[in-house]
Formats: sequence, structure tokens, C-alpha cells
Amino acid sequence: MTQRPALAAAIVAMTLLGCLARAAEPGQATRPEQTAAPGQAAAPERSTTPEHTTASEPAAYSAAGLYNLGNSYARAGKPGMAVLNYERASLLAPDDPDIETNLRFVRNSAHLPPESSNAIERYVKRIDPTLLAWAGVLGVLLAGVSLIAGRLSGRKTAGDHSGGRRTDTRRIGARRGLRRAALLVGVALMGVTVGQAVVLWPRLHAAVVVTDAAPVRVSPVPMGDLLFTLPEAETVKVSAEHEGFVLIRTRTGRTGWVSRSNVVPVLPRR
Amino acid sequence: MHLFRPHWLAALTALFLAAAPAFAVAPLVNATLEPRQISVGESAQLTITSSGTGMEPITLPDVPGLEFRVVGQSRRNEIIHGATLATTSIIVRITAETPGIFTIPGITPKSQPLVLRVNPDNGTGGPTPPGGSGFSGRPPVAAGGSTANGIRLTADGSAFVKLNLPKHEVYVGESIPVDIEVGMRAGFVTSLNGLPTLTGSEFTLNNLSRQPERVEKLIDGKPFTLLTWHSVLAPVKPGTFTLSVETPLTVRIRTRPPKDTLIDDLLGDPFMQNFFGTTVPKDITVSSPPTDLTVLALPTEGRPPNFSGAVGTFKIASELSSATAVTGDPLTLRMRVSGAGNFDRVDSPMLDHLDQWKTYPPKSSFKSGDAVGYKGEKTFEQPLIASRPGAQTLPGLTFGYFDPTTRRYETARSAPLNVTISPSLADSTLTAPQTPAAATAPAARSQNGLRPDHPAAQVFVHSLLPLYLQPRFLALPSLLALAFAAGWLGLRRRAAADSGPRRRERLSKAANQVLTQMELARRSGDSTLFFNSARSGLQQRLAARWQIEPDQVTLDELDARMGGVDESQEIGEDSEIAEIREIFALADEANYAGHEMTRIDFDRWTQFMRRQLAEERAA
Repeated sequence: MTQRPALAAAIVAMTLLGCLARAAEPGQATRPEQTAAPGQAAAPERSTTPEHTTASEPAAYSAAGLYNLGNSYARAGKPGMAVLNYERASLLAPDDPDIETNLRFVRNSAHLPPESSNAIERYVKRIDPTLLAWAGVLGVLLAGVSLIAGRLSGRKTAGDHSGGRRTDTRRIGARRGLRRAALLVGVALMGVTVGQAVVLWPRLHAAVVVTDAAPVRVSPVPMGDLLFTLPEAETVKVSAEHEGFVLIRTRTGRTGWVSRSNVVPVLPRR
Repeated sequence: MHLFRPHWLAALTALFLAAAPAFAVAPLVNATLEPRQISVGESAQLTITSSGTGMEPITLPDVPGLEFRVVGQSRRNEIIHGATLATTSIIVRITAETPGIFTIPGITPKSQPLVLRVNPDNGTGGPTPPGGSGFSGRPPVAAGGSTANGIRLTADGSAFVKLNLPKHEVYVGESIPVDIEVGMRAGFVTSLNGLPTLTGSEFTLNNLSRQPERVEKLIDGKPFTLLTWHSVLAPVKPGTFTLSVETPLTVRIRTRPPKDTLIDDLLGDPFMQNFFGTTVPKDITVSSPPTDLTVLALPTEGRPPNFSGAVGTFKIASELSSATAVTGDPLTLRMRVSGAGNFDRVDSPMLDHLDQWKTYPPKSSFKSGDAVGYKGEKTFEQPLIASRPGAQTLPGLTFGYFDPTTRRYETARSAPLNVTISPSLADSTLTAPQTPAAATAPAARSQNGLRPDHPAAQVFVHSLLPLYLQPRFLALPSLLALAFAAGWLGLRRRAAADSGPRRRERLSKAANQVLTQMELARRSGDSTLFFNSARSGLQQRLAARWQIEPDQVTLDELDARMGGVDESQEIGEDSEIAEIREIFALADEANYAGHEMTRIDFDRWTQFMRRQLAEERAA
């Protein structure tokens, strides 16, 4: 009875992850703009000045490097850049309490309201994404093997209730139970992986205001009418881009166009 | 003497007294027409004067081509030699609609008919007939002659219009500031019915001030209210044209001959004039004297490529909103064009294309320095966004225009602007700021409430994207899922194939094998092999029927499934069920204890199995 839904769930999970991965690719909707040398990310203590930034091949990141970079910006009085790097560090090490503490501290210092999330989101966010990725693969394996084994070992066991020899029936029942358990565990692992992807989705499309005050305009032109002003370090959701402007949505639901130079996406563009 | 006896004297007195009212009720009616010769559209005044105590009601005549309208009535009492004489006057305005000689019948039976000669229209501003001071549908403007100021009054001297042009040779598109003066004789002009307009179509009158300047002025010793409009005249095509301005007015036209207007001038106040019935209201259009104006075409030689049609005297200046900026930040480049001329044609694309800059179309705003927009300053604002950091120089801006004073094209230029562009924070997100704290040891305690730095990491990743969203990694579970799906579908298809003809063929082949083994066992007298083969054949048959594995077909399974009525009907007779169970039991017995069988027994069970398997093949 559970074979078809389980197989469908596995395929849907993989498809969903594929779609999320494709949509989360940072270089697809946006043009390549910002790169940095791996060494700079790896060793923030080298602390080069912004004027010495050079474009290079794709950067290498580490949670510690981004965290230290965020600390440096926080000490330098740039909460926007600090929040940005903390957010990036939390993508790599979501269970690091230092990152979360400093992020909250900088937000509070910038007089920004704390982020609100429920317990499930907080729990799912804390799981290491890399670990969860392999768990998802394990889930696919478990679900797939259980389905194949079920198909191989027995056809439709309509006569489960019929008894038979006690040893055979017991053995058959044990195998069936094992297969069902493996299937459930596999589906659960895939579900947790997909769940975290869904929870992290807004953060992957978020951006942080890195200037003192970012004017939000009605239209994506410099002379557009001013709607409101975003404070530095505010995190917004980016939903579209046009001619050097990005369409943002604040946590309170207000939308408008901001110059791309005023905000930096949490997920760096390739 | 006897005639003057008292009773005769009394009778004559009574007779005179009785006859006096009879003389009084027979008034003397006199009608005068002035003037007797007018033009089409003009009016003449018909005055009907009745001397006496009363006046019979009059009926206006109906003469085709003439319009009659009563415009006033007055009553006057005169004392002549101690006697009071009452005179009643009715003033009728006769307006000529067609030319010709018209005979106006007597207003009363006793009045004489009058003749009015109507000439064809002699045009606007044409002279009125000599001695004519009557009504005029269009303004008789030249009769009064010109004054020292070049003013040409209307025929009755009630109003004038004057157009002040600074020059009489202009260029196409050039803006010429003009003043339009409308003089209105105090007390004679009752209302201004519209703004001044041009009579020709070769010019446009732009930015006419809504509220004219108003001054009181004496002209030829008579009080006038002078209204002055400021405007800008713009010729639209080259050539020599005659220009005039006209204004609609409502004036009070004198109804008395010119020789009597001296009293009117003395009265002055319209209330007094109305009181004495000397004026009537009339809508007229007053025109200014025609002025010749030569419009020259703009030369084609030396025309700048960016010439937008601006004619005048201009100068430009440019500035940048900030001398420093970061890449991606919009800067505003402003160009200010100031001077005098046709600012509506002042336009500039500014910096249309600039390397390493993103340019936007400029917006313009105009700040007028006068009431008509002839002088002022036009500001162009162009947003610019630098795409590369570094010190950069914006080129100077140019503006081409035609200067009518020098009679040639000029190009105004502004100085280049320097700007320093620094990298955007978005370009340096992975660069730590140079602060003392950043240079300290990672383990150093933060002094700002921050948790300390972490030791430098040894493991790096090339993307912040979670691993399960990276396409390369995602290929692994996707391929696994596809493989499992393919395997599952393959097995499912195979199982479906097993239930078809191939399954029957396989069962038939298995049945033949079973019968062959049973035959060999029968020949050799091996009961164990015989019953095991028979049981195997039955297991395969029942397993295929019940969709379970052959191993699962046991004696208990047989009892459970074939115990009901429906199940027994599937197999056939009850005896067959018993024989099947007996074969299963005999097979167990032969395996564990051995079983001696006669030839008859072998034949019996062989026949039974052949029958069972034959049914299967037939099914």
C-alpha cells in the first residue's frame, strides 16, 4: 500500500530540491558583479582596505572567516557589513552561538527589531546544511532500497492474516516491518532536508542594507519618487532586479526599488 | 360792448377751459434720423420726439435689412415764456444689415417717412462717414487721429489699443517681449470682454499675463484707464507681415451729435450721462494700428549639431551634486542655461553616452526671471551612475543657440568636472576594514560586547549555497532516485508480465517438468520423489492462483484458504480438496518416514496430478 506514495514522495522531494537549487543559483537572475579573492575571505585578519579589492575567481568561504569579518566591520562601526557577514557565516555554521549572539547584538545596536521565527524554524535552521544534505541522500537510499526490496521479496501480501507456519509468518512480518521503517526514516530524512531548504529560502534571497540610509523609490530610476528610507543593517527580501535597482520587500511588507549599490545580497553573486 | 357782457365772458372762458385739454392731448411728434448714411454693420439713431403731455404708443417699423431696437427714453419739461412744455424722446437704434436705400415709414400716422442710405462695408477701422457719430458695430478707430504717443483712439474717443514692439526685424522662433496697452476712457468703457488677441496667424502670443497692470493716465487732457499686458511674440514663419492686436470691449456710445458732446465731456461720469440719457452700451472690438514686422529665417551656415532651436542670448554653467561618490551611487549633473530668449526651445541631451558611466535622460525645470518667461534660467538635471572606481573627469557641456544680436550661431561651453569614485561596499564585502581591532589576535576579547573572533579556519567552501541546493551535489540523490524509480517500475512491469501469457507458458512448462519427474519416480518406485514432485506442482499452481510465493503454500495455508465454500468452488469438488491435502500429507510422510506405494497408487495419483495440471494448462 505505501510503495507508490513513497516513491512519489522521493521523486517530488528530489524535484523540489532541484528546483530550489536552480532558483537559488545566484548568478542566474543577476549579473555577475562581486567577487573577492579567496585569501581575503579565508584570512580576514589580513584586513586589506576596500580600495585594494580585486576581482578574481570564485571566492572561498569559511564560517570563521566570515564571522571574524563581521566582527571587524562591527568594530569599525559598519553594522550593515557586519550583519551581512554574520548572515553569511550563519549559512555555513547555523549552530554557532557566537554568530547568532553577535548578529543579535549588532542588530540591537542598530536599533533594528529582532527577527521573529517559530521553534521549528529555529530548530531546522540549526542543523548543519552539509550534514543534512548527506542525510537527504541517505533518505533517498533508504526509501529506494525499501521499495525495491518490498517489490522483490513479496508481491502483495494479501494473506498476511492467514497465519501459515509461525516461523515463516514471523520472519515475513519482521522483514515487512523493517522495510516500512526504513521507508519512513528515508522519507523523514528527505523531508527534513527539504524543510530546511524551504526555511532557508528567504535568507538565500535576502539582502542587507550597507549604506547609512537607502532611499526606497517608487520606480527603478534615480529620479523616482521617494517612498521611505531603509536604515543600515536592515535585512530585506529581494524579488526582482532592473537597471541597477532591486525590488525589495521589508519585513513589515513594504516594497520599493533600491539602488543596487545600497544593498548587498546575503548569497554572493557569482 | 354787449359782447363783453359778463355771461358771454363766462361762456367763452368755459369754452377755452374746456378746449384746453383737447389741445394738450394732440402732441406734436417729430422724428429725426442721424446720420442718414451709414455702412453695413453700423447703426443710426432714430429719435422720436413728442411734445405734449403724453405720447401714443409707438410700433417699430419692419424694414427688411434694418434692425430696430429701442435703446432709451427720456422726458424733459421746458418752460417757455412762463408756460411748461413737456417733451418725450424715444431713441431707436437702427442697425444696417444689408446695403441699400431704405425708407423708414412714419412711426406715427402724423410723422413723415425717413430715408436711410446704407453703404457696403468699408472694413474694420475704416473712417466713419463725415459727421457721423452714430452707432458703430465695429470700432471706428481712426477718426480721432493719432496723438503724440502713436495712439489711435476709436471714433468716439472712448478706447484705444496699442502694441509696443521693441524691434521690427526678428528671426523665426525668436521670442520678442511685447507690451499690449488698452486705454479705456473713464466712464465710457463699461467692461473688458476678453484678452487681447493677434489678428494674424503668422505669430503666436505666448505667456500673456493674466492680470494686466492698471494705471490711470491723462491723454489729451482726458482721463483714461490704461491696462498693460506683457507677453512674448513668436513668429512662426519668415516673411513681412502686418501685425495688429484687438480687444473686445463694451463701451457706452454717445447718442448725441458731436457738437453736443462737449456737454458729455463735461459730465464725464457715466451715471450722470445715463441719467441724462446721452449714452447707450455697445459691444465693440478695438484694434491697434497695424505694424509691419519682418521675420527672417534662421541661417543654415554655422548651425551647431546640437542646435535645438534656441534663439536668444544665453550662457551655461554646470555642476555635479558631489565631487565624490561610490560606484553605483547616482550623481546628479546639472547644467544651468541662463539668459533671455525662447526658453521653450532650450533643450540639451547633456551627456548622451559616456564610457564607464550609466547615463539617464535629463529632466529640466525653468525658473522665470520675468512675468512672461523671456528671461530666466533653465536647469537640466541628469542622473549619472559611475560603474568604475577611480578619479574621473566629466567632459564640459556645450549648448548651441542663435544669437539675434550678433546674427550668428553661438556655442556656450562649460568647464569639465572632476569626480572621485570609490569602490562600492557591495564590491568589497569580503574585505575587512582596516581597524586596530581587526589586526588583533583572534582570541582577543572584544571590547564592544561582541564575542571574540574565531581561530582561522582551515576548511573552505566555494559557495554559501547549502550543499543540497548545489547542482553538482544534487545530481547524486537525483540519480539515485531515478535509479530506484526505474528499478521499481521494472519490477512492477515484470510482475505484470508474469500474470499474462508468459506466466501461463511458464506454468505449463513447470507442470510438464513435474509430470516428467513423477513419471521417473513412478518407474523407479521412489515414492518420496513422487510425492515431493506432486506437492511442488500443486504449490506452484496454487501460489500462482493466490498470488503468493510457492513456499508459502503449506498445509495450514491450504486449510485456511480452502476451508470456505467459495474457495472450494474455485478448486472444484470437495474430494479433490481432500486429495490435495492428502498429497501434501503423503509428501511429508514420505520425507520423514517413508511410504510404500503400489502400482495402483502410483497410477491413481499420477492421473490425479495429470488432471489438476491439465486444468491449469486449460485455464
